[in-house]
Amino acid sequence: MNDSAQWIILMGFIVSFSLFFLATVIDQSTLVGQTTAENAQDLGKNDIRDMRTVIVNAVYTNSTFNTNDVKQDIQTISLSRKGAVVDYSSSFHSPYMIILIHYNNGVTVYNETWTSP
Amino acid sequence: MVDDKAQLYTIEGFAAAVIMVFSIFLVLSSTTTYTPGDSHISDFQMQQLGHDVLWSMSIPSASATESSLQQYIEQNQPAAFNDEFINGINNKTGSETDTLQYSASVTCRDGNDDIIQTPFAYSRNLTGGEHAVRATQWALVQQTCPPNTGGPVNPHAMLIEVLIWRE
Repeated sequence: MNDSAQWIILMGFIVSFSLFFLATVIDQSTLVGQTTAENAQDLGKNDIRDMRTVIVNAVYTNSTFNTNDVKQDIQTISLSRKGAVVDYSSSFHSPYMIILIHYNNGVTVYNETWTSP
Repeated sequence: MVDDKAQLYTIEGFAAAVIMVFSIFLVLSSTTTYTPGDSHISDFQMQQLGHDVLWSMSIPSASATESSLQQYIEQNQPAAFNDEFINGINNKTGSETDTLQYSASVTCRDGNDDIIQTPFAYSRNLTGGEHAVRATQWALVQQTCPPNTGGPVNPHAMLIEVLIWRE
């Protein structure tokens, strides 16, 4: 057996293993980006923003739309088209209008007590 | 004849075999193929773009006036909706425009508590093969449900749903 220059073989092993290790790291990093984008997509940020705007507009900004029919519209369509349970109620404590807003789409729960300026 | 020479060669052979098997395992596990994963990121951007355009259309230009989105639905103007929306999603910096297409519908609730979805405007027919994302926007309108069927108009909250895809 010739046992000289074993360090060359050792260095070869180290380099090749570190290449595999780096490939695994790169592979995992794309998965991280995907799950982040999926989480951002699943969070109902835009849904909640739209829902609270339409409720405030209906109850406070344009009182023409402060009817039970419109409330029923918002609740029924939210449930059937977005899979979200929405409820709201308003009360007037002079000089402020107070709206309680509830939203739950099974993943995200949002509650807000809105006070008129 | 069995003797005890060259045992080191045997050990070396085993070691080489183990190293090769381990290497193959590492190679296979470091190159997994996965379904179009990266497309989620561009999907998310496209969805956000649709939301933003619908959002800007639902802002009135002055106080106590109606937003353009409300007017389009109340006065049944799909052509005007198409002009504003297709510009909104396709305008880019510079003279070139993007190639996004859309199909919009209006969802409302009728007197029997049924949900009715009616097509409103579109830039291309939806064939089913598109990889589309959905953006929605609420609008408070004085309309019948389904829209433009005649009869007295009432205050309604309607949901505008838009499917957007890249052509």
